Amino acid sequence: MAISQGIVRLADVEAGTTVRMSDARLEPGSRALLRALGLTDGSVLRVCKQGEPCVVQVRTTRIGLSSRVARDVFILPIEAPPAGGPAA
Amino acid sequence: MSTAVVDARPQTAPARLALVGNPNTGKTTLFNELCGLRARTSNYPGTTTAVRVGHMPASDRHGSVEVVDLPGLYDLQGSTPEALVAANALNPAGRLRADVVLVVVDASNLARNLIIVGEVLAQSRPVVVALNMMDVARSRGIGVDVERLSQRLGCPVVPVVARRGEGIDALRHAMREAATANRVAPADLPPAPASLEALATWGAAVADACSSAPPDLTATDRLTERLDRFLTHPISGVATFIAIMCALFWTLFTLAAVPMDLIEALFGSLSEALSAVIPAGPVQDLVTQGIIGGLSGTVVFLPQICLLFFLISLLEDTGYLARAAFVMDGALSRFGLPGQSFVPLLTAHACALPGIMSARLIPNERDRLATILIAPFMSCSARLPVYVLLTSLLFAGQPALAGVAFAACYLLGAIAGLFTAWLFGRTALKGRPQPLILELPSYRTPSVKNALLAAKDQGMAFLRTAGTVIMAICIVMWWLSAYPRPDVPDAGTATVAAAAADTGAVDTKAAQASSYAGQFGKLAQPLFEPLGFDWQLTVGVVTSFLAREVFVSTMAVLEGGAGDTEVDEGVVSRIRAMTRDDGTPLFTPATAATALVFFVLAMQCLPTLAVTRKETGSGKYAVIQLAYMSSLAYVLAFLVNRGLALAGVA
Repeated sequence: MAISQGIVRLADVEAGTTVRMSDARLEPGSRALLRALGLTDGSVLRVCKQGEPCVVQVRTTRIGLSSRVARDVFILPIEAPPAGGPAA
Repeated sequence: MSTAVVDARPQTAPARLALVGNPNTGKTTLFNELCGLRARTSNYPGTTTAVRVGHMPASDRHGSVEVVDLPGLYDLQGSTPEALVAANALNPAGRLRADVVLVVVDASNLARNLIIVGEVLAQSRPVVVALNMMDVARSRGIGVDVERLSQRLGCPVVPVVARRGEGIDALRHAMREAATANRVAPADLPPAPASLEALATWGAAVADACSSAPPDLTATDRLTERLDRFLTHPISGVATFIAIMCALFWTLFTLAAVPMDLIEALFGSLSEALSAVIPAGPVQDLVTQGIIGGLSGTVVFLPQICLLFFLISLLEDTGYLARAAFVMDGALSRFGLPGQSFVPLLTAHACALPGIMSARLIPNERDRLATILIAPFMSCSARLPVYVLLTSLLFAGQPALAGVAFAACYLLGAIAGLFTAWLFGRTALKGRPQPLILELPSYRTPSVKNALLAAKDQGMAFLRTAGTVIMAICIVMWWLSAYPRPDVPDAGTATVAAAAADTGAVDTKAAQASSYAGQFGKLAQPLFEPLGFDWQLTVGVVTSFLAREVFVSTMAVLEGGAGDTEVDEGVVSRIRAMTRDDGTPLFTPATAATALVFFVLAMQCLPTLAVTRKETGSGKYAVIQLAYMSSLAYVLAFLVNRGLALAGVA
């Protein structure tokens, strides 16, 4: 599947970046769980930590994702991390 | 609470209240506030999914309302057993139809929690929303306009802090009112069946209209981020995890030992007292050895189980366990296990029973099943005396090598378990392991009350199993090991025997060998011949089928001793001196090594099978566990025996 311009893997963005959820190429069970946790298409999330696990925050929900999941979630970065912000 | 609710049904059928909500919303805390000690965990009718059922007073005049605490769910659309149970309970035509649905919502996380609220509201039935964790919301700078939220949802919304018992009376009042109110779904709610996206959009709109957004990153958030980075770091995270687990198990072993000793002493005294009252004979034997012995052998695990669940509940409440799951996920996922498997597997090193029971922590059914199936491979404390005996026999006078062999037993068990998880994951288990996706709940001070109730609940659940299935198994196995009794010798023979060094031991040995289990052992000996086991060792294997530690006492009895269960130098020396019928030593290095491998891997614990059956809801998995473990033990023990023979080790 082609990746649209600007869309990158969640695992590849810096901690502190604000991103918009684009797609999750996961098996249906994991995909459904992400959606139920608030990671729906178009939702805005903040990447809090990279690595194992990747931690993201959607509104006030913090979600831990194994790095395998973070590699298969595609996002559009919309705001760079603040200067001196958190690093993974 | 509700007079109206109770009046809606005959006196014999109490009204029901169902609690639903996302995980980590304080649903169980609220349930405990409503029901207190009047609760128990049981499987939802027709399923293996555990739900808590309790009762709260209905009113002064009418009995009580049944409160059903459904599993925590993010939405009702999944096909997991938990989602199906919740859907069934909420369905007016379901097995457990509820009169009122209480949706517990985390006030600090309103938008996401409103998804499940929307799904319940769509059913146009009596609903009350408990807006829990208001204190957390306030600490994060989140304000909620409760009145407005109630208007938008078209149902009562009651702010509560379940942990402190705040708002509970108002909640009871609201439930009473809701039971008789007719209500319709909010006009702007996406029509059912709505997609999660549509519900999420609706929930976000309602949350934005009824609550003030938190500042971008509060001080609490910054502390949470620092803690998360530290607790999931490859070095500091692993170090913290090891430290916490060591502390947990040190506490478990140290504190549980006291009541365990007390229970054994109490049952010992009870047995003695009954022996004095009941005339000697089969009835006395049945009561003192079969029933009391069986009860003692299972109830003795109760302190470990209660304490374990108390400690796990405390840890879970702090929010740490979700982080710990990620620490172990990398290593365990290679074998098709989730990070959450670690606690059950570690627990199984104390005893497989609480290990298997604590697999309830694992939300995914496939992963839970995989963990249950391999838990008995972990070297439990009951294996200790067997390991001590056999490693001492294997490396006589070489304590360092015996120590290495001892550690190798633990390693072999763990490797066999992980290999089995990998193998079953590719064959017997349906589905694929899910990569870890977990909500990371806020860090909180744990609730001791919740932990105590969890311990009591799990302890009672264990006792119900112990008091029925396990007890019956114990009595049957005792009978097989004790009967038929050898013929009573005539006076002359008895006099001669009395002159022998140890009449009791001779009788006990004769009894053991002539019992049904002993006879079966002799009958089964050809099966164990390829492993180098003679009839005595085979009897040891057969009689320890109830519990592996029985092996030591059986061998001590067959050697002519008094059935010692403690492995001291004297017992080891006497068993080392045992001979086969042809006069050659029984425990050669090859035989000891073979027996050691067999006991590391074999399923020699009937109570474990009973708990596996209960936790999986099917005897099938208990049979698979028994057949697989026994076969693997036999095959590997055979290979070790042959390998040693080829290497010239007798």
